[in-house]
Amino acid sequence: MKTTIQETDDKIVAILSGELDTAAAQETEQALQPLLDSKGKDVVIDCTELEYIASSGLRILLAILKQAKSVGSRVILKNVNDVIRDVLELTGFVSIFEFE
Amino acid sequence: MFKKSWLSRVGIMVIAALMVEAISVVQYQSLKGIMEQDMNIRSRIAMGASADRIGHVLELTEATMNENMLDVRRSLLRPDSIFRAIQYTIDDNPHIINGCIAFVPNYYHSKGYYFEPTVFKSGDGYIYKQLGSISHDYTSNPAYRRVIDSGEAYWSDPYIYNTGEEHISLITYTCPLVDNDGILAGAIGLDMEVSWLGDTLNNRQKNTASFLLLLTGDGKLVAAPSASRASQADVDEAVRLIGQGMDISADKRLAIRSITMKREPHWQVAQVYYTDEIFAPIRKMRRQHMVLIALGLAILFFMIDRFARSERKLREATAEQARISGELSVARDIQQEMLPKVFPPNIYGTIVPAREVGGDIFDFYVRDGKLFFCVGDVTGKGVPAAMLMSVVHSLFRTFSSRIDSPSFIVREINSQVCRGNDSYMFVTCLVGCLDLYTGKLEYCNAGHDKPFLLTSSADIMPLRSNLPMGCFPDFEYEEESCVLEPGTSIFLYTDGLTEARNAYKQFFGRDRVKSVLDACLAKPDATPEMMVNSLLDAAKVFMDKVPQSDDLTMLLIKYQPGELVRDQITLANETEEVERLGEFIKDYCNTLGLDKKIVSGIRLALEESVVNVINYAYPEQEKGYVTIYADSNREEVRFTIVDSGVPFNPKSVLSADTTLDALNRPIGGLGVHLTRKLMDSISYCRKDGKNVLSLTKTIV
Repeated sequence: MKTTIQETDDKIVAILSGELDTAAAQETEQALQPLLDSKGKDVVIDCTELEYIASSGLRILLAILKQAKSVGSRVILKNVNDVIRDVLELTGFVSIFEFE
Repeated sequence: MFKKSWLSRVGIMVIAALMVEAISVVQYQSLKGIMEQDMNIRSRIAMGASADRIGHVLELTEATMNENMLDVRRSLLRPDSIFRAIQYTIDDNPHIINGCIAFVPNYYHSKGYYFEPTVFKSGDGYIYKQLGSISHDYTSNPAYRRVIDSGEAYWSDPYIYNTGEEHISLITYTCPLVDNDGILAGAIGLDMEVSWLGDTLNNRQKNTASFLLLLTGDGKLVAAPSASRASQADVDEAVRLIGQGMDISADKRLAIRSITMKREPHWQVAQVYYTDEIFAPIRKMRRQHMVLIALGLAILFFMIDRFARSERKLREATAEQARISGELSVARDIQQEMLPKVFPPNIYGTIVPAREVGGDIFDFYVRDGKLFFCVGDVTGKGVPAAMLMSVVHSLFRTFSSRIDSPSFIVREINSQVCRGNDSYMFVTCLVGCLDLYTGKLEYCNAGHDKPFLLTSSADIMPLRSNLPMGCFPDFEYEEESCVLEPGTSIFLYTDGLTEARNAYKQFFGRDRVKSVLDACLAKPDATPEMMVNSLLDAAKVFMDKVPQSDDLTMLLIKYQPGELVRDQITLANETEEVERLGEFIKDYCNTLGLDKKIVSGIRLALEESVVNVINYAYPEQEKGYVTIYADSNREEVRFTIVDSGVPFNPKSVLSADTTLDALNRPIGGLGVHLTRKLMDSISYCRKDGKNVLSLTKTIV
């Protein structure tokens, strides 16, 4: 699992690459800490290279979303593949995230 | 309904009464006919005899006339001796009371134109009188004229004569009198009293039912019995009837038979019957008949009534029976509905009930890669047995849907059957669970017949009997297990098979079962259905025409796992191990050639479940393990997660609410929800101190 953060003036982009399973969750959660302090910027999570996500990964996404919402920021999931989208649909996450 | 049957009963009675009455009438009439015939013969004899006697009396008078004719003729020469000659003549015959000679006019010039010397018997003496005169012109007397004209003797009709003292009935025999010169001198008449004839005729007739009458040819009464024998009215009635020619009818009060005398004066002898008295015996008989008939009819009515009542009861009973058998057939349908009807190629079973509904059962179904099956038999047959069996059936379904262990299933069913089992009905049952991937057969026998294990030959499985269900609620049923090699079968049955009897009271027995099964095993292509049907045919041939006395149930299960792919991995209770799990799942699924999306779903479900064990099964800091078994028969894939941590049934956890918005969503609870969504079935059991969680996914 590889996590890259790119911050610009108006948004923070996190690029997730690999499999976000339970084992990788803790490390990924650490890596994504900057997203929890978005300072009003929109958060974009690039899932182009994300192959797998477990519920522990979903929890991280949910925590980011809750924090962003509290400061009026948007959270956008970008380039979600079919496998990930199925999981998001099964959990109802499709209705609370924005997609790009 | 009651009124109608009552009416029909009365109708039957009326018909019966009419028939019996008709028989009685016919009998009466024929008896009467016989009596009348008999009467005819008797009266002919009686009347013939009377006619003869009367004839004899008349002959005597004629003889008296003839014997004295010479003397009378001689006396004609001396007219003064004529009286004496007449006197002698009438003296000869006690019945003759007068005699006279009516001379042709002027026979004796000296005696004048009319001369009729007459002698009357008077007491012991005689009175002589010459009666002829102008005032007594005998020449106009019909009898005189007839005799003079015809020159033949003549018997007069009877007539009443006044003697001066009494009226008597007389008849007169008149003959022509020719003198010695051959000249017709006149007519000589002898008056005979006939009043006595009536009594004389009847004094031989002892029977008071009839009397005899003597009448002239044209029906004038000559003699009748005295009033003590027959009343004047009856005599007059009889004379009137004879005058009308009605002489034989037996329907009137009087019936009459008559004959005519063959000699002069051709009188009739008539016999008059009082029909009342004649037919009294048969009338009495008929009255007795009537009484007996009435009595018989009363008994008949009673019997018909009884019969009708019992028939109605029978009809009601028949209707009741029809209703019950209708309900039984519904019960049978319901019971049959509950039995498995569709069989996979490796399983076949059948029930042949002895009555409409039976106390036998078999069932099987697959859950989580395991085949659950049972064969049972309730003591007794019919509706009560079937009802209890239905209860056992549904209990089996209920408990086996959430308990994997056959012994636990049996214990649960037993405790339910024992509850309220006041009629002490027992159920023998064998419950089994065959793991279709491993061939592991776990079973618990509750007093049922030992099944056959079919390998290269059929052999009884040496298993523990335990007790039938329904005896003790707390009985500890013990479980046994074995592993079936692919291709082997287990054959279960009820005692209806082994205890089927033939006409010689022999049992079909296990040996015959074994030999039929062995014969089937010798054929490489024998299917379970063929084997069960072979046994059924053999049992039917054995029983021949003896009716089946008990329900007959068979179930044959062949372990045919198909192409199995199996693997397993054991992980420590550390989150890092999840990576190994992911690799294991991916490798296993790739071996099966599954679609990437399905693999991902399976991996997610397994990860969620295993992470749950890793995180919560063991106390913190305690080392624990979790083993994942993967099985597949190319149709479905099953993962069994086994750990020895604290009991935890993920099925008892509520699913997360996935409709809530972001702010209200809890962070956890998604794992169980995902597992449920991603897999086709989940089952959990706690066994041997371990949590056993099975996740199954159909992959075809």
